[in-house]
Amino acid sequence: MKTIQEIQSDIVEEFSVFTDWMDKYEYLIDLGKGMPLIDEKDKTEANLIRGCQSRVWLSCREEDGRLHFAADSDAIITKGIISLLLKVYDGQTPADILAADEEFIEKIGLRENLSPTRANGLVSMIQTIKAHAAAAKASSAAPASGRSIDEDIVLALRQVYDPEIPVNIYDLGLIYDIQADADGQVFIKMTLTAPNCPIADDVVAQVREAVADVPGVRDVQVDLVFEPEWTTDLMSEEAKLELGML
Amino acid sequence: MDMRSLFPALDRQIYGKPLIYFDNAATAQRPQAVLDFQRKISVEANANIHRAIHKLSSDATDLYEAGREAVRRYLNAPARENVVFTSGTTASINLVADCFTQRYMSPGDKVLITEAEHHSDIVPWQLACARCGCGIEVLPVDEAGEISVDELDSRLAAAGGRIKLVAMTHISNILGIVNPVKEAVSAAHRHGVPVLVDGAQGAVHAPVDVQDLDCDFYAFSGHKIYAPTGIGVLYGKSRYLGEMPPYMGGGEMIDTVSFEKTTYAPLPLKYEAGTQNFTAAACMAPALELAKEMAEDAEVQDNLRSMRDYLLVELDKIEGLRVYGRPRDPEKKIALFSFTVEGAFPADLAQILDKMGIAVRSGHMCAEPLLRRYGQTSMLRASLAPYNTLAECETFIAALRRAVKMLR
Repeated sequence: MKTIQEIQSDIVEEFSVFTDWMDKYEYLIDLGKGMPLIDEKDKTEANLIRGCQSRVWLSCREEDGRLHFAADSDAIITKGIISLLLKVYDGQTPADILAADEEFIEKIGLRENLSPTRANGLVSMIQTIKAHAAAAKASSAAPASGRSIDEDIVLALRQVYDPEIPVNIYDLGLIYDIQADADGQVFIKMTLTAPNCPIADDVVAQVREAVADVPGVRDVQVDLVFEPEWTTDLMSEEAKLELGML
Repeated sequence: MDMRSLFPALDRQIYGKPLIYFDNAATAQRPQAVLDFQRKISVEANANIHRAIHKLSSDATDLYEAGREAVRRYLNAPARENVVFTSGTTASINLVADCFTQRYMSPGDKVLITEAEHHSDIVPWQLACARCGCGIEVLPVDEAGEISVDELDSRLAAAGGRIKLVAMTHISNILGIVNPVKEAVSAAHRHGVPVLVDGAQGAVHAPVDVQDLDCDFYAFSGHKIYAPTGIGVLYGKSRYLGEMPPYMGGGEMIDTVSFEKTTYAPLPLKYEAGTQNFTAAACMAPALELAKEMAEDAEVQDNLRSMRDYLLVELDKIEGLRVYGRPRDPEKKIALFSFTVEGAFPADLAQILDKMGIAVRSGHMCAEPLLRRYGQTSMLRASLAPYNTLAECETFIAALRRAVKMLR
């Protein structure tokens, strides 16, 4: 199997023949149309990445230490770009996925599509791919009993993204408190970046679903608070770095 | 009027193609006169208003108050005290939502809004109502996108006094239909209920006469009406502005302050805490002057009408394309078209059109409930301004046809 680096080079070469924007888009549209769809049963809320412009669904399964992805979007150009991303990452190992970047996107002139302001779900999708890889790597590294339930919950929370900011909600500092008792009752206190966030309910639902999936968790209660108010000071160093604030 | 030469932003190439700016409902381009004025103030009168005695401060204050007077004239508001400067329509509505609910509403009361509202005229009410144990009720629009004043009347009658305020858009940013605001206000007043009008799109369409409409609040933004961003207006009747509590506390809005008791400044300064965006406020004068001139210029209005009529006919010719907002009286439609095309997703169309130099809006456009009403999650919108041309409309239609063909 080709390495991530080799596949990226192939794509860059493929795109070098296009001199005109319209040709490039025609090609992406063809890729989008030809992309195998995600299984309907996997088009769940949990796999949905919501953007302002378009929605993206991504599912992931692990087989023999390699990750396999399927995805869909309601926007066909976005789907074309997704098909390139999946070409790069599908079937790779978690460690390789974590170590790689998506430099080909810039090289083929599609960087604007990865701008957080585009709100097309692509940036969050890449973060989600990495989060899947991180989770797979972590679960293979530590024996099932090696991690506490709290650590598992944090891992689950790290897979939930603010739809407009390409950083997971845990590193954004939106989680104020996690309490898990011996019966598997989990209590989470969290906030949102803005009190009038139009998709507040979705984020809370995603948190609830993600944590409910953690082994040993029986019940999840999420308390959404706006006191104390969230500020960028609560972000992790990684998150600040990711958003170019350091 | 030679429109094009007044707006320097139009004279640009995007990816080597002449810019066609059809996203005016989001932000309008600014005329040279406003840009010059903005710079002049920044150089000659950059000082805090209403505070210091020195010359710069007094010049800045004069310019700021001249901006207010220009707004007062544009809205035909009775007095200076009825015109409050805010940061935009959203801020104006939030102000009323907070202060009105505090002063006049008790648990169980409701605010009636229409289904065609922008999120900025939905979410502030949800937040304010949640704080005081109140709720919102929604007046639907029909398939054509129109609201019924009779339905409004019967909702208010059925509410038995529990609806304390009606909030409605003058022109929806999706539908582009001029709502029967005057009739709605008079229906609401028959039930003793005041009305807030979201004029973000309405104010730019034509000068507004708040005394003729008889609305109790009217909100609009500068950046959609050729002024800079970060300035907005709240018109309010004296009774309400006088009785409601202040919104934000801070400098300028006070009369005297002591730790025991603070008294507040008279209107309109009571609602203008902190250093205002006085440069942008002052720029409302040249911006509104131009807006009025354009609204009264027959040639400009003819151009807008012919672009509107041409686009509607041509859009209808594209197979699988549906335009939302089809009023029974076609003259109620402004040159703003939100639509979907079967087999072509809005974000894809917008992305391809962008590469052809055409700026249009795509997405949920901050009106998710209205889109949901039509079974959509996303639309494409072309919104025109007086400086657009029929030739641009022709290019747009050709480009749209090409983009649709690529995607299908």
